[in-house]
Amino acid sequence: MPPAPNVFFLLMVGLAGWFVPGAGYLFLGEKKRAIIIFITITLTFGIGIYIGSIGVVDPIGAKFAYIGQLMNSPAVALIGRVTTGGGYLVYGRPNEIGQIYTVISGMLNLLCVVNVIYMANLREPSPGWRF
Amino acid sequence: MSLTGLLIANFTSPERIPTSPQATLWILPLMVAIVVVYKATKLSEIALRKFLKETAGLFLSILVFIVLTALVLHIIAYLISM
Repeated sequence: MPPAPNVFFLLMVGLAGWFVPGAGYLFLGEKKRAIIIFITITLTFGIGIYIGSIGVVDPIGAKFAYIGQLMNSPAVALIGRVTTGGGYLVYGRPNEIGQIYTVISGMLNLLCVVNVIYMANLREPSPGWRF
Repeated sequence: MSLTGLLIANFTSPERIPTSPQATLWILPLMVAIVVVYKATKLSEIALRKFLKETAGLFLSILVFIVLTALVLHIIAYLISM
């Protein structure tokens, strides 16, 4: 019978992947994968807020998009707090493209979090990360 | 303006993007991101050459499909408006 997965380790890997895109893979010793995912997701989110400004993160006017954007990292909530006052209004095509970029980067990070938990479940944690 | 100020200013005001057919080209960087992350999660081992080959293959196949779909829609729109 295979050993039961270490739930704390799985939770830690998933949370790390959410806090910093790609960080969950570092726990599994997948350095290259972690770097690729970190750069790609951060850059995609960065392009989104560059095109549409930080105003595309709108917890009040665009709640559903905000949920997707939050999947990038909890740090997005800090941007949400700044933009809640309505000082960074953005409309039209820049708003659309900015929201699409930031939401899709969030969804990609969610995919990575699910994938890293799955990979961690299949593997034993590396010796440096035993609890 | 300092470099930091300029950087922050770039992220607090939106870029000017006209509603033109060229604006659809913004799909390309997004496609690259989707393909790279998808392949990074799917490949069992990340080797630069194999990774680039797989990524380029998937990117091109999606691009060809998008172009074909656009062509078909364009032909349909042309026939309807004739």
